[in-house]
Amino acid sequence: MNQQRREFLRKAGFAALAGLGAAAGLNPLHALEKTDTSVFPRKPVEGKVRWGMLIDTRNCPEGCTKCSAACHFEHNVPDFSGTKNEVKWIWKSPYEKAFPTSGMQFKSDELEKLEVPTLCNHCAEPPCAKACPTEATFKRWDGIVSMDYHRCIGCRFCMAACPYGSRSFNWQDPRPGIEIFSASYPTRERGVVEKCNFCSERLVKGMLPACVEACPGKAITFGNLNDPASDIRALLAREETMQRKPELGTLPSVFYII
Amino acid sequence: MRKNILMSAWIALALLLAVGIFMQQESGAGTEPSATASGKSESTSCVYPKEFMKSHHMQVLDEWRHDSVREGDRIHVTPDGREFEKSLNTCLDCHSRNKMFCFMCHQYANVKPTCWNCHLSPMEVTK
Repeated sequence: MNQQRREFLRKAGFAALAGLGAAAGLNPLHALEKTDTSVFPRKPVEGKVRWGMLIDTRNCPEGCTKCSAACHFEHNVPDFSGTKNEVKWIWKSPYEKAFPTSGMQFKSDELEKLEVPTLCNHCAEPPCAKACPTEATFKRWDGIVSMDYHRCIGCRFCMAACPYGSRSFNWQDPRPGIEIFSASYPTRERGVVEKCNFCSERLVKGMLPACVEACPGKAITFGNLNDPASDIRALLAREETMQRKPELGTLPSVFYII
Repeated sequence: MRKNILMSAWIALALLLAVGIFMQQESGAGTEPSATASGKSESTSCVYPKEFMKSHHMQVLDEWRHDSVREGDRIHVTPDGREFEKSLNTCLDCHSRNKMFCFMCHQYANVKPTCWNCHLSPMEVTK
């Protein structure tokens, strides 16, 4: 090789290296990779929140149905008077219907006539979500067992799977059964199943569920079960609580103080 | 010899410049969109160009539903940094000045979407 050419290449190489070094010194930021942090908070973290409810039946006034009235108005739940076509999200059940496996043979008079509010338990292991063939029912990132009515084909497998009877089927068009329409939530149509959604549309706006707000006795506590500092966790630690049919292993998120 | 040194200096300068420009571009791309509070009805232009929305609003709504219902990703950000809630109500709010906005076009195209079987249509909501 030509001596001059070799000399040139050597010097050019050194110069290039020096140039790169200088560039690195001038701009200490990493040139190749930059993490765009703005994408991080968009999606919620799975399992960080698990919404739960604690119903203190000692504060639940007898004969009061304000929770279900508020819920059913908020979510455009139809009223077809009678059990045949009944659609319900939250309703009152007699004690022995709500807790049929609690093993009380000789109940007190109080327990005999006690009615407890019952609703979807938003199980951590929801049998309805497992039964649904179209994934219309699914467990959300925050523990809510949610429904996408668009996908529901009305097969009612979920109704058979739910051990709590928390699901209702629209045998007919629900709109004639709704007296006043609430603009905050859509109605359903004939042929779909529906149930309590833990007011996920209100939680997004930072509001408490409609039943919690409507309760005159402040009997319903709502909060994050995964947060040890939450009110509901404090109550769970302090009080003796029950779940509905705990032996089934569905791990309900709704607790009761009797 | 002098020519060679000059040449190498030029190359080094070019390299320096190239790296500098590259870095500048990188940091430019990384600047976050100056997003203010969700624009919604204050915004005068749609989430996508008009022509795209004409042909693809159903896909947009389908995607929005999936994102908000299943992923919990409720905010749509346009390339110019405006933010919208991924909800049918966002569309209806913006286009509320013309109550027939949906119906006119659907009637013209002779399509019968089932949205209003459940969602309250602009004709049913009194505002």
